[in-house]
Amino acid sequence: MATTTAAVTLTSDLLSDNISVTTDTTCMKGGTTADGLDQMDMGYIEIATGDQYDLFDADNALNKNKANKVYISNDSTDETYYVTITIDATVVGRLYAGDWMFIPWGAEDATADIEIEAINGTNKVSYAYFHEGRTLIAS
Amino acid sequence: MATTTATITLSSSDLLSDELSLATTCTLTEAGNSTGLISTSGLGRKTTASASQYTLFAAADYTDDKAHKVYLKNTETAAGLYFLISIHDVEVGRIYAGDWVFLPWSADTTSDNADFKITPSSSASHTLEYMLFAE
Repeated sequence: MATTTAAVTLTSDLLSDNISVTTDTTCMKGGTTADGLDQMDMGYIEIATGDQYDLFDADNALNKNKANKVYISNDSTDETYYVTITIDATVVGRLYAGDWMFIPWGAEDATADIEIEAINGTNKVSYAYFHEGRTLIAS
Repeated sequence: MATTTATITLSSSDLLSDELSLATTCTLTEAGNSTGLISTSGLGRKTTASASQYTLFAAADYTDDKAHKVYLKNTETAAGLYFLISIHDVEVGRIYAGDWVFLPWSADTTSDNADFKITPSSSASHTLEYMLFAE
């Protein structure tokens, strides 16, 4: 079993008491502590403005309602640049230059793709997808 | 100006033949500029006792389409207990026991009412920690 650990630390001086939250999780298959996610895709792309693109395709029974994890980082440096993250035609949020996100992805149906659109300029995006399997397209 | 940072580390020594070690830190700033976010819910905790859907953050309470960020952690230890995260009526994914999440949130009220919702996997006691950073 592959062991992949995702750790996060959040710190802030916003409050009169400092915020310092640290936690980690081992990326497991859905509903088990015995078997880790053992497949992944990882990449880096530059996305031009003007269209919305499928970053991850939900049309895959192996994804559906699992504990798969998605990491996306906007590596752009211009603070006005951002990418919109959309699932099933609903905008989840904006990932501005330098921001990252880490989410579970249920890929509940064929339209639940994770889509991305670059705003204000060509955005540089890194991503990783930890999953239970991906159906390859027959050639 | 307040400074809030979020650091993620993804690591594995046996997923690939080469060790995976990825670390990224971001400073949470307002949309389109370098001013730090100045609002937070603080760290909260909720225990549910039904399988109903709960609205954790209502979009109408926040400004649309900014650089809001949400942190969640499922503090349960029984592997089968999860929270399903939904935004508007779209299911994002399940956070199982021990898992955490950090994501941007649109709080959009123009095209969709993008309330941030959670649904426990059953009526058994489920506990969630959460924190929102907002503009």
